[in-house]
Order: sequence, then C-alpha cells, then structure tokens
Amino acid sequence: MKDGYLGVDIGSISTKGVIIDDKNNIIASSYIWTEGNPVKAVRQLINNLKKDLPSDYQIRGIGTTGSARKLIGLMLRANIVKNEITAHAVGTLTFYPNVRTILEIGGQDSKIILLRNGIITNYAMNTLCAAGTGSFLSSQAKRLGLDVNEFGKYALKSKNPVKIAARCTVFAESDLVHKAQVGYPKEDIIAGLCKSIVLNYLNNVGKGKKIESPIIFQGGVSKNEGVVKYFKEVLNEDIIVDPNSHLMGAIGIAVLARKNKVGHVYNLEMTNVKFDTKAIECHRCPNNCELLRIYRNNELVDSWGSKCGKY
Amino acid sequence: MDKVGIARGLFYYYYGDIWKFFLDYLKVPYIVSPNTNKEIMMKGIKKSNDEMCLAFKTYLGHLCYLEDKCTYFLVPRIDNYGLDNQTCTNFIAAYDIVYNLFDKKVLNYNINLNKNETLKKGLVNIGMELGKSKKECLDAYKYALNKAREKKSREITINLNKLNSTKTKILLISHPYNIYDDLIGKDIIKYLEKNDVEVIFSDKFDEKITNKLGTSLAPELYFKYSKENVGAIMYAKDKIDGVIFLSAFPCGPDSLVNELVMRKIKIPYINIVLDDTASFTGTETRLESFIDMLRRVTND
Repeated sequence: MKDGYLGVDIGSISTKGVIIDDKNNIIASSYIWTEGNPVKAVRQLINNLKKDLPSDYQIRGIGTTGSARKLIGLMLRANIVKNEITAHAVGTLTFYPNVRTILEIGGQDSKIILLRNGIITNYAMNTLCAAGTGSFLSSQAKRLGLDVNEFGKYALKSKNPVKIAARCTVFAESDLVHKAQVGYPKEDIIAGLCKSIVLNYLNNVGKGKKIESPIIFQGGVSKNEGVVKYFKEVLNEDIIVDPNSHLMGAIGIAVLARKNKVGHVYNLEMTNVKFDTKAIECHRCPNNCELLRIYRNNELVDSWGSKCGKY
Repeated sequence: MDKVGIARGLFYYYYGDIWKFFLDYLKVPYIVSPNTNKEIMMKGIKKSNDEMCLAFKTYLGHLCYLEDKCTYFLVPRIDNYGLDNQTCTNFIAAYDIVYNLFDKKVLNYNINLNKNETLKKGLVNIGMELGKSKKECLDAYKYALNKAREKKSREITINLNKLNSTKTKILLISHPYNIYDDLIGKDIIKYLEKNDVEVIFSDKFDEKITNKLGTSLAPELYFKYSKENVGAIMYAKDKIDGVIFLSAFPCGPDSLVNELVMRKIKIPYINIVLDDTASFTGTETRLESFIDMLRRVTND
C-alpha cells in the first residue's frame, strides 16, 4: 500500500480537495462550489476524490484549511487544521521554492504574502472590507447574465476598459449598473471590473508592500485571464499562474498533514456519518452569544461561539 | 445620597483608578458600569451617530446603563497635555455630546495644560461641587494620585518583566479602552495567551519615556496617546517578536498613526480593525497566521 495525504480547503465560494503522495505529487483533485453548505460540499468532494484514487493508496493524514476549516476539521477528524496564509505559503513553496510574492484572491478574503528564502516575512489580509474579492466578481457575473468562468475571456476582448470605482464594491456596483444602462459594451464593462479588482487589491492589501518577482497569483480569481492581464499591466512584472493555482491551499495543507501525520490510517467512508450543526442563542447573560453546537451521530462533539467559555 | 456614575469606557481606562480613590477618600458613593456586554454595546450603538468609533459607541452604551442608577455622570473634557500632546477629538467632545444626549447632571472638568487647566484643579472643583471643603478635596487628590501611581507602577513592572519571557512575545498596540474592553480586545488577548504568546500591552509603559521615544520616531506626531503607543514599540523593539496594531473602526488617530508607523518599523506586524459586525472567525485567521509567521512554521 502507498501512502496518500488529503488536504481540503473549504472556502466561502468553492471547496478544493487534493490527495498527494509522499513526493507531493497530486494523485487526485477536485474543485466544487461550496454553495453555502460546507458539510454537503465536503461529502461531495470526498466522493469525487475517492473515484480518482487508485486502490493501492491509503490515507495517512488529513488537513483542513479555509474559512470552514474548524468545522470540517472536526467532521473529518483531521490531524491538522491551519489558516489559509500558512497553507498557501507551504503549498506554493512546494512547487516554487524561490517565490517572493504570493498574490491570492479568494471568495471572501484577499491576501498578499511576502517571502524571502522560503520564510514568510510579511503578509496582509483585507481588513473589515471584502471589496474586490471573488464573491463580488461572481455576483456581478450573474448580474450581467454570464458564467463567471467566461468572465476572463470577455475581458480580454476589450480594447477600452471602462473606469469603475475601485474603492468599494457597493460603489463599484452602482458604477457598473450605470455604465451598463448608458450602453457601454459588455466586454468593456467586464474588463473595467477586472481592472478595478486589481487596483483595489493593490491599494488595499498590497498597500506599502514591496512586490518583487517571482510573483505567483493564486486563489479562484487567478483563473480569470482578465485579472491576470491587468496585474501584469499594472505591476509591469511577469505573473505566474500555476495550472493548479486554485488548489494551492489544499496542497499546502496536505503537505502539512503529511509532516504532522500521527500514524493511523483514515477511512474515507467516515464522511457518511450523520453530521449536524445547530445554532442556539444563549440567554444566560446579556451577551446573548450565538452558540453553534456540532453533533456527530447525534452526539455533541463541540460547541463554539460562547464568550464565557462555559459551553 | 447622591451617587456618581462612572462609565467603564474611554476615560475610565486612564482615570478610573484615580477617580475611584478620590471618591473613596471623600466618602462619596459611586457606581461603575459592568464590563461591556452585548446589551450595553447595542444600547450605545442605538444612541450614537454612525460616524463615531466603536469605543465611543460602547462608552455611550455604558452611560445608558448608568442612566437610572446614579445622580451624576462623571465626564471630563480632555483637550491636551501641553504643546503637541493633543488627545483624540472624542475626548474633547465627550462632555458636550453627553450633556446634549442625556437628561442628566454631568460632573465635568477640563484638562488643557495650554490653559493651565490641570487634573488637580479639575478634581478639586468636582469635590467642591459635591459639597466637600477645598482642604478635603486637596487631600483626597493627593491620596488618589499616589495610590493610582503606585498601582500603575506595579502594572508597568509586570508588563516590562514580560519582555524577558522566553515565549513568543507580541506587543499589542492599542488604546487601553480597546485592549481591556470585554467585547473589543479581550477575545484577542485570550486567543493569544491560549496559544502560548506573551502579550505586552502598549499602555503599560512609563509614559514619560515612551512619549519622548514616540517623538523620535515620528516628530510630526501630536496625539499624546499615539505617541506613547509608538514609543512603546521603540522601547521594546529589540525584545519583541511582533507587533499587533488593534484599532476600533473608524479611529481617526490610529488610521493615521498606525499607517505611518507600519512604514517605518522593521518588526513583523499585523493590523486588525474591529467593528461590532466583525465575527471573531476572521480575526482568528489573522492572529493564527501571524503567530505561525513569527514561529516560522513554514520553514522546515
């Protein structure tokens, strides 16, 4: 039997999973939409992965990352649960040991990671505001009646991208509606949108950071050729987009799962157990915390969200 | 008997001790509002204008809590501590805002060293307004000042001792009304301590030293509290592993000063901005990755 390690990256928009071997080769991978239900998405993901997994492999480690990492970590009994920054850095370093800048734009978060000699030296994440992230692009795609996957191709057609407010997505959206109603061609609006994402990112998370090449762009938005084009144009540097750029977080956490393996073999059938969450509001004190209780096979396994720590 | 209401917000974290010792000495009863909870914060948000910062909203919430429990509010107007030692505009405006928002008697004093309005004068006037003699008030002031200084110096010693710890050391740069507030900073401190981080607080340094050091890093600064925060970085820079800038949205001085300092310092840092809408999950991701970075988890 050969050893495999599962990494799952559950983002707000998409859920990514990979199984790697001892040499960090990808044996199986899957990319699906989260659609607001991480538990369901992960079940689907595991099923997809199982189909691709050769029968002589056994899973020796599981890691989870992404915004639902805690919940899914509990569900999969992962041996490591880590934040996205670390996972992305580890994943990228596996394939590009010389990388100096990682640009990452995901569904809710965007981040920039600066590395020197394989060590993270600085990073930034968007603060309160999620302006200029993937969810904005996909909601605007819907508004324009397009699939978000075709967005990039449309953007490349444009010769004259329209100017769209680059600060706030609420303003950007009203700008966009206005431009569409006035009669600008679709591709120019889409190109303008892609450009505004780039400018917003650089003004927001990239502010004050020294962006040096090699620069690697990843996260779901890196699949958008339009955004890549404008990054190249604005930064005047080459931007590397790995064919697996959308999987980097999952690969990183799989690598971490391998490094932190505890020894036992995981059975992927376990995802079929009953796994529920219940939200209740506690009224024991004026804080009225929203408690989230997590049940595996109707048995309470964890409870989150209390300020006092009693639950 | 008349009761003085002290809100656990803003000024409390600078003057709470001295007020309490002062009123204790004069045997004037007082009530301090409890630690911030969701109800208090919600009341404050309802009462306030949406341009106000989270800390000020919370402060108003505490006053709402006290409204039917005391005779007076104690709200100073703190303008400056001399040239180039201005405070935040909220500290100047607080009295007038409270006076206009609440139907309540407000005990007020000014601190404006440019006009020679000192804490001593202020507290003595308040004591006399409460029917005590000038002599009593002066004694009470001296007593309170000494007690408060003693307490502060003990806290400073504890804080400075942490600089010699062998754990990962993070300097938390923020205003005390953010750091020690149950709903603003407490979760962050709890999280850091749970992850075996030594948290050093920017407000527990000798302010005379940090004020000067702050000026040396950025001579253009004129906010007293910001200067001291910046000075704390200068003071501790060789002993700490990282800096966390924590501010409440939308803090005027912090948005200027933190930005300026981030460009000048050579220590790893992270900027966290909190609002009442922010859930802790996002903050946790940022803190966890910051600690990972400091501990070089990615490095084999």
